[in-house]
Amino acid sequence: MKGILRKIYLEVRWPVFFFSIGLAIIMALLTTLLPKVLGDIDKVFEKLPFVKPIITALLGMDPGDGFTAQMMQAFLWVHPTVLSILWAHELMYCSRMPAAEIDRGTIDFLLGLPISRWKLYVGESIGWIASGTIIIGTGVCGHLLASLKLQPQMRPGAFAIFCIVANLFAVYLAVGGLSWLVSANSDRRGRAIGIMFAILLMSFLLNFLAQFWEPAKSVSFLSVMEYYRPAFIIQSGSFPWSDVSTLTLIGSVSWILGGLIFRQRSVCTV
Amino acid sequence: MGLQRNGWEEYAENLASPASDEPRFFLKTSRQLGIIGRVSLPSKPKSVLTVDISFSESAFMSVILTENLCKSYGDRRGVDDVCLSIQGGEIFGFLGPNGAGKSTTIRLLLGFLKASSGVASIFGKDCWKQSDSIKQDVGYVAGDVRLYSWLTARKAFQIVGEIRQMDLMPHGLELSERFRLEPDLPVRKMSRGNRQKVALVLALVHRPKLLILDEPTSGLDPLMQDTLGDCLRELSNAGHTVFFSSHTLNEVETLCDRVAVVRDGRIVANERISEMKLKAPRSVSLRFETEQAARAAIIPGFLKVERQQLATLHLRLNGPATELTKWAASQALADITIGSPNLESLFRGFYDLSSLDNSSEQSESDSQAVGSTGKQP
Repeated sequence: MKGILRKIYLEVRWPVFFFSIGLAIIMALLTTLLPKVLGDIDKVFEKLPFVKPIITALLGMDPGDGFTAQMMQAFLWVHPTVLSILWAHELMYCSRMPAAEIDRGTIDFLLGLPISRWKLYVGESIGWIASGTIIIGTGVCGHLLASLKLQPQMRPGAFAIFCIVANLFAVYLAVGGLSWLVSANSDRRGRAIGIMFAILLMSFLLNFLAQFWEPAKSVSFLSVMEYYRPAFIIQSGSFPWSDVSTLTLIGSVSWILGGLIFRQRSVCTV
Repeated sequence: MGLQRNGWEEYAENLASPASDEPRFFLKTSRQLGIIGRVSLPSKPKSVLTVDISFSESAFMSVILTENLCKSYGDRRGVDDVCLSIQGGEIFGFLGPNGAGKSTTIRLLLGFLKASSGVASIFGKDCWKQSDSIKQDVGYVAGDVRLYSWLTARKAFQIVGEIRQMDLMPHGLELSERFRLEPDLPVRKMSRGNRQKVALVLALVHRPKLLILDEPTSGLDPLMQDTLGDCLRELSNAGHTVFFSSHTLNEVETLCDRVAVVRDGRIVANERISEMKLKAPRSVSLRFETEQAARAAIIPGFLKVERQQLATLHLRLNGPATELTKWAASQALADITIGSPNLESLFRGFYDLSSLDNSSEQSESDSQAVGSTGKQP
């Protein structure tokens, strides 16, 4: 296992470093700029009515007539750039094994070693959890450092941040779990990434449409975004047990299924 | 003392720490068999010394054993009814043309593919279910070597050593020197030949009991091919087994003790090289004293006339030379030349060359090959 972890470290250290720094910078910038941009959001809603449903979809709840200062900070956690960086890392990482390994033929090197496929899968998954923790952690650091310049009443409380980060990490687990499952079934990395990209896009769209289209609302439970509601967390001040449990369950079941499929499948590199 | 039904490791353990104080004598008969058994002397010898010789099962247990192994890809057939039994210490050649099923067989042995039916075992362990424990003692070089672009030989020794729980660095660096490989050069900067060397060194570095090589000399210069040949002979002499898939007849003939030929997923020949040589046709030139004598000669059935050049007949001999020498003694011959057995001709006979495409024929003829370099699923 140590050798596999070393291989993963050598392989992903630079991408993880750049994703972490990128997320930290983006979150610091958004923390600083969002209060200025969203300060006049009511006027924007009046001029451009379609903006409100978009923000409602992103936040997972109707912000009402106006944004509170803390609610503005909730927007940071659902900003498409933040989610894109996290998911880009995840799609790249989780499609590495076995899809990319088979695609480039290096799986022969790995499977030629005296390590079971299950251990290989678990080793890669440890790297996935560790890299996600590092990237999200660095992003949070960027946010916290930038929020030092904000007025105290504009900063969400430590507990609220903890709850949002837990919810975001649960999203990370769910998306990653699904990516492992898709990757385990695929021989081509591009195909695996394409399928996951389509799933995330559909998830996003479904969550968006559910805000104003009743038929979409009835199936909105299929969207991962349905279970990620930072605005609700800030408003309610309670830990989102239900959302976190649902997302973790989706991630765990998908991850286990992916592992079982990888363990049982024939691996052909031609 | 009855037959010792020990597994490979168990037997090795018994050798290392004998369970009883009874004297043991190990019989080493040949490098193919290695230690084949032991002699037990009775503790109270009688007037007639009765010696009980028991043979360990491991001595005769096949290192690789496949029985009716089949693998199909939907409608396409990969391998069909492959039966192989390879003993310890053998260098076993595996020959076949494009898509014949060489790589499929290897991938089944390594547990990359799940067999549709049949049995495959290495060291008596199931190739699919116990694949990871088998690989502790197996080295493997893929037919088409693909490695991580950032990997260097030194990093690979460290990573593989940690997985195998062995310090591979000293022997790895030794092998790198032998194969003239720069240990700190990343794979992305390596030529194809050097990448092949990395794969070979990684397969050899832990001194595996079984080495499975899928066309290992592709990309290697002749000097390195010789170095590899030396390494394989050393391994074989130490009782290790080599499974060698190749398309080049020369190296199989030089290196291997036994060879199997696979065609359309089936084994069409499986014999010792020495036995094959007896069957292989030879070219024979008989120079008679006069052209008329050459014309008048009654040629026996085991010889086939290919052409006549004045007083010289060029013939093809099928079978052993003993009958030829007997017959030649009764002829008015000025000279006789018997060529070495033509294995290439024999191997080409194992599969219909007309079914091969022109390009593969061209590449084969360049390297006196009987198979092809291509990969099959």
